[in-house]
This record gives sequence, structure tokens and C-alpha cells, in this order.
Amino acid sequence: MSVVDSPATRRPNDPGRSQQNRTPGHAAPKRRPRGSGRTPWLLALPALLLIAGLLGYPLVRMVVLSFQNMRLRELLSGRTPPWVGFDQYTRVLSDNVFWAVVGRTVAFTFVSVLISVLVGLGIALLMRRVSRGVRLFMVVAMMFVWALPQLVAAQIFRWMTDSDFGVVNYLIDLLPGVDYQNHSWFVNPWQGWSVITTLVVWAGIPFLAITLNAGLTQVPKELLEAATVDGATPWQALRNIILPILKPLIMIVTTLSVIWNFGLFTQAWVLRDGHPEPQFQTLATYSYTQAFGQSRYSLGSAIAVITVLLMLGVMIFYIRQMFRIGEVD
Amino acid sequence: MVAPAASPAAPAPASTVPLKRRRAKADDGVITVGRSRAGTILANAAGVVFSVLMLFPVYWVLNTAFKPADEVLALEPTFWPTSPTLDNFISAFKAPLFLKDMLNGVIVTLLAVAGALVVGFLGALSIARFSFYGRKAIILVVLVVQLIPFLSLLIPLFLMLQSADLTNSLIGVSITYLVLILPYTVWTLRGFISGIPRELDEAALIDGCTRAQVFWRIILPLTGPGLVATSVYGFIQAWNEFIIINTLNSPDKQNLMAWLLQNQTTRGTAWGPLMAGAIITSIPVVIFFLIIQRNIATGLTAGAVKG
Amino acid sequence: MKRKIAAAAAIAATLLGAAACGSNDEDAPTTSASGKVDGTGKTLKVWLMVDAQTAWKGVVDDASKRFTAATGAQVNVEYQQWANHLTKLDATLAGSDVPDVVELGNTEFPKYVFSGAFGAVNPADYENSGSWLQGLKGACDFEGKTYCVPYYAGARVLIYRTDLLKKAGFTEAPKTYDEFLSVADKVQAAEKANSKFGAVYMPGQYWYAAMSWVKSSGGEIAKQDGDKWVGQLSTPQSIEGLQKWVDLVKKYSKADPTKNENDQANTFAQGTAAMFYGNAWEQGSAEETKKDPNDPNSKLVPTKVKGKLAAAPMPEIPSFLGGSNLGITEKSQNKELAAQWVKAFTDSTSMAGLVKANALPNATALLDKAAADNPKIAPAALAAKNSWFPPNAEKWADVEKGAILQTMLTDVLTGKKSVADGAKWADDQINSTLNES
Repeated sequence: MSVVDSPATRRPNDPGRSQQNRTPGHAAPKRRPRGSGRTPWLLALPALLLIAGLLGYPLVRMVVLSFQNMRLRELLSGRTPPWVGFDQYTRVLSDNVFWAVVGRTVAFTFVSVLISVLVGLGIALLMRRVSRGVRLFMVVAMMFVWALPQLVAAQIFRWMTDSDFGVVNYLIDLLPGVDYQNHSWFVNPWQGWSVITTLVVWAGIPFLAITLNAGLTQVPKELLEAATVDGATPWQALRNIILPILKPLIMIVTTLSVIWNFGLFTQAWVLRDGHPEPQFQTLATYSYTQAFGQSRYSLGSAIAVITVLLMLGVMIFYIRQMFRIGEVD
Repeated sequence: MVAPAASPAAPAPASTVPLKRRRAKADDGVITVGRSRAGTILANAAGVVFSVLMLFPVYWVLNTAFKPADEVLALEPTFWPTSPTLDNFISAFKAPLFLKDMLNGVIVTLLAVAGALVVGFLGALSIARFSFYGRKAIILVVLVVQLIPFLSLLIPLFLMLQSADLTNSLIGVSITYLVLILPYTVWTLRGFISGIPRELDEAALIDGCTRAQVFWRIILPLTGPGLVATSVYGFIQAWNEFIIINTLNSPDKQNLMAWLLQNQTTRGTAWGPLMAGAIITSIPVVIFFLIIQRNIATGLTAGAVKG
Repeated sequence: MKRKIAAAAAIAATLLGAAACGSNDEDAPTTSASGKVDGTGKTLKVWLMVDAQTAWKGVVDDASKRFTAATGAQVNVEYQQWANHLTKLDATLAGSDVPDVVELGNTEFPKYVFSGAFGAVNPADYENSGSWLQGLKGACDFEGKTYCVPYYAGARVLIYRTDLLKKAGFTEAPKTYDEFLSVADKVQAAEKANSKFGAVYMPGQYWYAAMSWVKSSGGEIAKQDGDKWVGQLSTPQSIEGLQKWVDLVKKYSKADPTKNENDQANTFAQGTAAMFYGNAWEQGSAEETKKDPNDPNSKLVPTKVKGKLAAAPMPEIPSFLGGSNLGITEKSQNKELAAQWVKAFTDSTSMAGLVKANALPNATALLDKAAADNPKIAPAALAAKNSWFPPNAEKWADVEKGAILQTMLTDVLTGKKSVADGAKWADDQINSTLNES
């Protein structure tokens, strides 16, 4: 959510200067008090201890586990499982099913994030264009969607796409010449994934649209007026003025969406009633099924480690960027 | 200005200044490029259609929740309950553990969010306002741990909490959730704190304020809206979680999400009560959003110094 | 505070237990349920599945009451959800503060028995153990010892609409499979006008049903060959049965090929099918729904098919015997006490209570009496006598969890794979799952 430290935070302080969106307004990174001794560590200590204790330690256990072979018997008896070196990793990496899952997860992430961000941006732009009453209505509608817990949202979609009682089939069936009675949405993986994607996009729009809308309020009006005077079309204004200013914000919400959608679990799990078929497995559900469904705890750990590494690979750009931001201020 | 106020996770403080400026000019903040009457009508129509589409699933939950059982399961769904009833809501409230689990959820969520804000704020202060050896490492840790799939840590986590006698307790779950949302909280608050011009700190120090006074009088009030905005993410995460709490705790110490799963038994799904339960489950979040909206508004006034 | 007392009691129990047994060296000491155990001040922790809470909570409470009267110990029953219950069990059993008694589905048991999760029991201590249903008991057996106690069973029967059958010219249930098919034919023809109507409601991932058809033609899911398991679904007999089931579903069922049987009674109650294959109690669920599903004592509301249903054994199709067993956890500090509770909960009195709640008792000796006492479950009691049980393999639960059979059935029904290809694929998956070291 470092949304905030991108231009959004800085520009207001000197809207005039930062139109180029170059380095932040106050370019004096060294002004931070130096040599304050123990104070910063004391401040960070509680957070570090908690992270080390409740994330770090289990994480180390997980990594260790991925080099062993722990099955139910070892789990229950508490005996140290046999060490197997990189066996779990070679097993995962040489498994076609795993790569299919990776490919599917990546494809889903790409498509769902692309749609979410585009629609979110479109809605945000629309919100700047409509009258106040309509905007209020849009915000209220999105708040309701936002307030629905993930599990609940997934249940609703399961209910609406139910083949016997679902309202979606009923409505489509009303169209002349279309027979959608008892249509099952999860026979064809493309259809099934469209349901899942619709759910994810629908649930993701409020965050994106409202955030981007807030970002749009930062676009200096004078600039747009000047552009209009110079004869710029709305499209040109969008491309040459609005998007460049929003770019850092878009990048950050996109990255967050990538992290969230890459970890898709609840939606696929609920829509497939707790037993996703192979064509509906994502990395998160696959790792969970392997570890807990099949009691291959070590294999599940290896998959989790690989997942983190994959994420790191994808996110390295983001992390570098964030790191730079974190460094500068 | 409803929109920015309603954007909890969004750059709330950032948007404050220009907003005020616009309001002063009595402008509604609409982008004027290519503006025409017909265009506005078209845009309004699009906005309404969008909102209706977004709301359809929400409407369908309400519609289902107010239907009696025999109307819920109908091959030809009706778009309005012909004989509306509160039975499903009564059923949920009367159901064993519903109120208890709701209370548990509220307690756990509030503890986790409050804890994460306090701990996270201190951590954020450290990396945003100090320069010290190891700062980079802390930032890296905070960024990278956000990528860890938490479910894969379930068993080590369980064993660890159990040895500390923290399974089957609300405290154990609260701490777990706290850590779950902590990295994000630190990172976001760091952004908010960096957004406060350092000149303010320095001016105050020159005026004779102590470090502590700078913190209490300047940084904390100015980060207020940021704290609220950050808490939204934490609140939603903690309120929505069900696998960890279901694994760590027995049913009387779980939350509403875990309770909702109960409606999916081998004896068929009771959709009516499930949807009623879903509505009740969402209400605290809606309330929270409403409260936030007010708080952000107060935060805006506090942020005035900034301009 | 309560926790501390419990912990102290647990420690005391360990010490006492060690003193009483003298030597604990034996590989698997068998817990006895005979004699008297003094459990004053102790609390037994029992995990039952939610069905007990919704359908026969009274039986649980009564057994606990008798148990408390006899031993002085209290009982704390925690009802678990089927969703996610094994994850929770795994994590809990890995720790030290474990439940003393755990209910699991019978097909889930072997994995835990093989992994040493449960302690051995002495069958002779329990009532009716001489005639425990093989489908339940099979899951408890390991290396000559018994590691769990059968609890209740369910057998699947043909549930049909008497009015529709009468309209098509049949006054009683079909006696042969061919007759069953001709009933389906006639009923389907009679209801041709209704586009939502399918004579038989059979959801596509209902693998208990599909495998019953496989069994009916002499097929098997898997069999043991030495110390290896070999998938048998692509044998000619299995293929024949599978094909028979697929033909039936394709021709007569309008059910979702990606759904399982959990909601079938509700759907059937809409009146768009004449027959379905379900547990005895599902006839009741189809005819009446609880006004308040969260309240076990709620008023019953009749559905559209109220009073129009009857049940009979599915002709020529052996029934899958589902059900649950109770295990005493190996890590339990109160094994003897736990055995006493299990004994009370599975005795003839408790079984009579289960029968009233439309469940089948755990022993063949009780089946005839059950059928006489509760006509609603008579067909199921009959069906239970001709029943089958999935391979008693350590990793069988992983086959179920991996949704191997479900996926195969959906693929075959939707034409993604031929029956032969689907069976071959499932065999490969089953082989690699069951034989994994």
C-alpha cells in the first residue's frame, strides 16, 4: 500500500514543480537524523520480534521440512522425518501437473489483473465525469461489494451459478433461442474460470476504482484546462497527462492485485465445493491439497518455497522500486 | 467529497489538500475535458448501469435471505420474496455459537488491528524517520514476508502456539492475525509518515520541542488518517480469515467465517440461513467503513497544517 | 484455571496409568473397556462430526450421562465440520493436547490407523462386536488388531416417486435392474413435456454410486497384489459396470455432472425427477425440510413431494456402506475412560437411538430389529446386507481427497474422455497414490 508515498503524497506539497513527476519535492534525503543510537532499533524491535517469532520461525521450519519427507506418521509421532535432500524439489519440478498449475496460475493472474485494473481505471475516470449524485451511488455500491467477506462473496457466486437453482442460468435461459437450463458452469474449464475471474474482478474493482479515483483528484485541473485550450482530445489528455501522473499509483495497485490474485485460494475452493478438480487448481490450492489433503507435508512445503521464489522473481522489479522509495525518503 | 473519504486504503492524506482547494472554489471536482451535456447524461447512465451490475449479487443475497425455505429452492427463481420472512435471520441468531462467534470475531479483529497499528507504527517510525545500520535489512524483510503463502506455515505455527499454550485461545489467534497484517501495516504507515514534511519536525525541534513532543504533537496527529486507512486492510484480512482460526480453535472460539462454513454439511446447504448469516457477517464491515468515513473527515482538518 | 486442572489431571492420569499397567513396553497395548474406571474430576474430550449434533444429539447426551454416572468423569463433546476437519485433526494430533475420542468417516480411518494415530481396542469389550458391519470394521483392522469401534452406517437405496411410477403403470418398486430401466423409460416418456425432467437424478461426481455399478458387474476399484495395490477400473468387468452407470446418467439424469450428491435430496424435492439413489434418511430430507435448519427441534415443512416417496433396495446394485467409526487417540491420557465412553455410545441403547434418527446401527445383529422398529430404514437395512467397501489401503483417503474418481466421472460424462480412457487414467492415478512410499 505504498500507494501513499508515491507522487500522491509529495505532489500536493508543491503541485507546481512536480508536474514532470521527477524526483520528489524535497530532494534532501540525507536530512534524516543520524546516529540516533538505539532509538530506531527499540522502535522496530516489537515488530521484528513478532515477525521473527510468528513468521520467521515457522518459515524456517517450513524450509527445513522441504528437505525432509514428513508424512502423517512422522507428524503424529513427532519423530524427525528422514532427510531427503532436494528430492521434494526434483519431484515437484519434474512434475508436469505442477507446471500446468503454475501456468494456469500465472495466466489467471495476468488476465484477472489486466481486466481489474483496466475496468478499475475506467470506473475511476467515469467517477470524475458523472454528476455528484451518481458518483455517490457508485461509491455506495462499491462499498457494499467491498464490505462482503471473500468467503461470502464466493458463496454468493456459487449460489448464483448453481446449475439447478442459479439465477444466472435462469436469466440466460430467458434469452430467445438459448437453452441454459441445468447448465453446468464448471464442465468447461474456460467457463469455470470465467466465473472465477468475474468473481475476482467484481470483488477487486472497489479497491481499484476508489483508489485510482482518489489519485485522479490529484491531477492538476489547470493542466487539463490548458490542454483543452491547446486543442487536445480527451484521449490525448488521458494518455499524455493523466496516465503519466497516475503511473506510479497504477503500478502499485497492479502489484498488489498481482500478489492477491496469484494467491487465489478461497474463491476457487468455495466455487468447487472444497475439492477443486485438476483444471481448477491454482498454486495455493495445489500446495494446500498436497500438504493437507494428501499428507505430503514436505512436498507441500517445497511447493510453497518454490511459490515464494516465483513470486520473488515476478516481484523483484516491484521490490527494487519500493526499496528505492523506502531509501529516498 | 464522498469519494476520497470512502477510499480507506487509498492515499487519503494525499488527496486532502487539493480537495480543499477545489472545494474552496465551489467546484465539484469533475474533470472538464471534453465535457458536454449529452456526454454527462451518457456518463451518468453508464455509472448507474455499472452500480446496478455491481449490486446485483448483493441484491441477490438480500433477496435470498428474506425468502422462506421453499421459495429459496425454486427452479424458477423469483426476483422478490413473495412472502418475505425474517426466519433466516432469526435462525442465524438463534443458532448455537452464532453470537459467540460473532463476538469472538470482533474481539480478535480489534485486538489484531489495534496491535498491528501500535507495533507497526513504531516500526514505521523507525524506518521512516531514522537512518541507521540495518535499516535496509528491515525494509527488505518487511517487503519480502508479504509474499509468503501463510497457509503453508499452518502446522509449524500450530505446534509453536500449542507449546506456548496459545491454541484454542482468542489471544493466540489475535497474535497470529496481528503478524499476518503487520508487514503491510509497517510498510503503509511508513509511507504516511514519510509524507509528513520533515521541515515540520525540525521547526518544532528548533522551537524547543523534545523528540517525544514532536511525536505526540506532530507526527501522530498527522498520521491519523493514515492509521485509519491502514486499519481497513487489517480489518478486512482479520475479519475474513477462517482456515487458521478453524485449525487453531474449537468451534466456541472461532469467528463468523468459520461459523458460516457450518452451513455446508453433508446434508445439503441451507442457502437461506447462509445468506442471512452472510449479511450479518458483512454488517460490522459496513459499520466500520461508515465510522472510518467520519474519522477521515476529522483527519482532514488535522492535516491542515500540512498545506 | 480449568486448563490447569485438566493438565494436572492429565499428568496424574499418566502417572496412575503407568503404575497400573506396570510395563508399557508392548508395541500396541490394547485399551480395555471392561471393569470400572474412576474418572472423578476428569473431563473427556470427544470430537464428533456435525451429523451427531443435527440428527441425534439426544443419543450423545444420553450416553454421556450414563458414562458420567458410571465413572464420575465429565464429557466435553466438540462437533466438527466435514469441511477442513482432517487439517484440524492433523495439526491437533501432532501436538500434545489431543481429543480422547475422534470420529472419522470409515474410509478416512485406514490412513490414520496405519500412521499410528489410534490405540488398539479390545472388540470383546463392546456390545455386538461379534457382528460389527464388515464395511465399518474393515477400516479398523491392522496387523491383527482393531484400532477403532464402528459407530453407525448408512446404506444407499432407491428412493422413488410412487405417484409417477403409478402413472407409468408400476405399483411397486422395480425388482430387477432391467425393470428399473423400463420404469425410467416409461416415466421419462410420460413427463416428456417437462424439459427439466429427468427420470433419475444422478449427480456426476457421485462416485459412491458409480462404484456401486462397477461392483455390480464384478468390477473392483483396486486390489492388493503382494504389497502393491493395482487399480482395477480398466478391467473388462469394471468397464462394463462403469459404462452401465454412464449410460444411465446420460439417458435419464438432468443433474449437474460436476456436482456431488450432497444436495440431491433438496433438488429431488423440486419434483423434476422420479428416482434417486440415496441414503435412507435422504427420503426424509426430500419430503420435509426443517423450518429452521439450525435448530434440531425445528418444525418440519412439507415439500412438493411429501407423502409421494418410497424406498427400496436398488435392484442388483450392491450398496456402498458409508458410515463412521470412533477411535481412541494414541496420545490420549485417558484411554481407559475413553473406552468406557465409546462403549456407552455404541451399546444397544445408543444404537436404538440412532435407528430412531434414521441411521443404521453398527452391527448386522441389530439390522433386522432396526428394520422392524423403523420402517423408514428397512430398505437400507436390507441393502446393508449386500454392501461393499473401498480398498482398505493406507492411502485410500488420499484417493478420495485427490478427487480422482470424481474428476474421472465428470470427464467421462461430459465426453472429455471415453469410458476406457477415463478408467485407464484413474487407474494410473490410483496406482501412484496407493503405492506411494
